[in-house]
Amino acid sequence: MANKKLTLALYTGSVDKLTAAGVILGGAAAEDMDVDIFVLLQAAHAFKKENAMADEYFAEIIDKKDEFLASLKRLNAPHWTEAFKTAKEMTNVKIHICGFAGKVWHGEKLDDFIDLADDICGIGEYISSAEEADINLFI
Amino acid sequence: MNEEELKSLKVDKSVDARGTSCPGPLLAAKKAIGQIEKGQIMEVLSADEGTRRDIPKWCNKKGFDYLGTLEESGYFKIFLRK
Repeated sequence: MANKKLTLALYTGSVDKLTAAGVILGGAAAEDMDVDIFVLLQAAHAFKKENAMADEYFAEIIDKKDEFLASLKRLNAPHWTEAFKTAKEMTNVKIHICGFAGKVWHGEKLDDFIDLADDICGIGEYISSAEEADINLFI
Repeated sequence: MNEEELKSLKVDKSVDARGTSCPGPLLAAKKAIGQIEKGQIMEVLSADEGTRRDIPKWCNKKGFDYLGTLEESGYFKIFLRK
């Protein structure tokens, strides 16, 4: 039986949403789902090499950012890049950087982004992936 | 299985995931299940309430037998047979 498929579009590059994405990816990895991640506009900023581990994160709820980050430490929760890496090691996860989004943040080449990224793609690939997916999330 | 039966189980593999939060225990279980044979028994130690609900569902989807959960002081022992 073919693996089920999750298509996950990341719009925001905020640390809280990326952490949520990492948890969802863990669930998908536990079930051996195939996962396509599309890194769209603001998220592409977080995927740039110089930004992924930066101290100054965006957060959805900015005045709770410090409390949120402290809680992650208290709960021994991995940084989102670690959660993504673990999922990639456990199941078939492909991370696609939207070419337009990359350019918005002056990222022209795959090498401008963290090593987790697999390729730079156009929106057609997202649409095709979402058409085939059992679960399609845009967060 | 009832509490007495769970307590008397001979466990082939124990996974201590008490230091991790969701989805850590589930991923630890996923990694460890590859290290035991079909028919063998694994216990997962987790302090995460969500894992207590996730493991039975995961077992159901993956074709493993969920045997039951013992509530210990501050954590759960979750048993399954591959």
